[in-house]
Amino acid sequence: MSSTSQKHKEFVAEPMGEKLVNALAGIGEVLGKRLEEKGFDKAYVVLGQFLVLKKDEELFRDWLKDTCGANVKQQGDCYGCLREWCDSFLLFQFVLCQRKTYQHGPFI
Amino acid sequence: MAALRNKSDQEIKDLLNEYGIKHGPLVDTTRPLYEKKLKEAMAKAKVPVTKPSPDRTFYREDQEEVTYVTYQTPVRSEGPSGDGKPYMRSRPEYSERDRVDDKPYSRSRPEYSERDRVDDKPYSRSRPEYSERDRVDDKLYSRSRPEYSSGRPYVDEPHVYNTLSSSSYSKPTPVVKSGGGVVKKENTTSSGRLIPLWIQFLVFLILAGFLYFIFTNMESAESSPFNRIQ
Repeated sequence: MSSTSQKHKEFVAEPMGEKLVNALAGIGEVLGKRLEEKGFDKAYVVLGQFLVLKKDEELFRDWLKDTCGANVKQQGDCYGCLREWCDSFLLFQFVLCQRKTYQHGPFI
Repeated sequence: MAALRNKSDQEIKDLLNEYGIKHGPLVDTTRPLYEKKLKEAMAKAKVPVTKPSPDRTFYREDQEEVTYVTYQTPVRSEGPSGDGKPYMRSRPEYSERDRVDDKPYSRSRPEYSERDRVDDKPYSRSRPEYSERDRVDDKLYSRSRPEYSSGRPYVDEPHVYNTLSSSSYSKPTPVVKSGGGVVKKENTTSSGRLIPLWIQFLVFLILAGFLYFIFTNMESAESSPFNRIQ
């Protein structure tokens, strides 16, 4: 794949937390606004949709095109960004949630 | 078949399975997408597909001997294009051909050897045939380095092919050049590199010689630092 953008690198470098949907690679102001109108106001909501579509590239691309009118490049950027984020963090977040239950220590 | 909207989730799922459309759970955000896919599938099913894949590019050929086969590859998850990437292969007499292409990079390169991406097809790689790759790709990438730019996302298998093709390309190129074919862009090299190999070697030798020259002309450290003042 060609080199990734700065936005992509920043997004996949850390858990997305409460980042807005504009933080996704490929999603600029215009697309971000359209997504927000449809209810996808945070990046994690788009992540949710990505996961519900089983992380399938074609389905996600079609969905993105239908929802906000992204072109092929924007679709690809967004897909790549989310996929890489999932590869790095999806399992990790799951583990993190589990760890929280042991915050108080093992002997209580 | 109208009124897809009124069907229940289960019916939509059954229809998706019937048409072989890969899908995830049917949620309110995914439903419009699947309805649209079903609509397209239904429309497509009515029209029997007899014509070849629309992604196929057509060659304008002056020579008769050019043969090519198109076939579709399995969907690769990392590629940006969707399904159906037709690949083209051509004989060494390709040099006269001028490809009609809507891609944004130059394709007319005579001694152009590319790697055949379809690894599971029985095309022998040891033959010095030139294989062309035609990627439905919206990204602009330099075609002069096909072996490098697109080699990375793929697994190890193509690397074996790379050495074969790189070793075999050098032989036919003098044949093509001496054949006096109409070579469109001769300054772009035979091997598909940006800088010809001999220039690279030359630069390397010059650099090595220069460093050696510097090294030998450095002051020798043999003499004792503590010179006696006479």
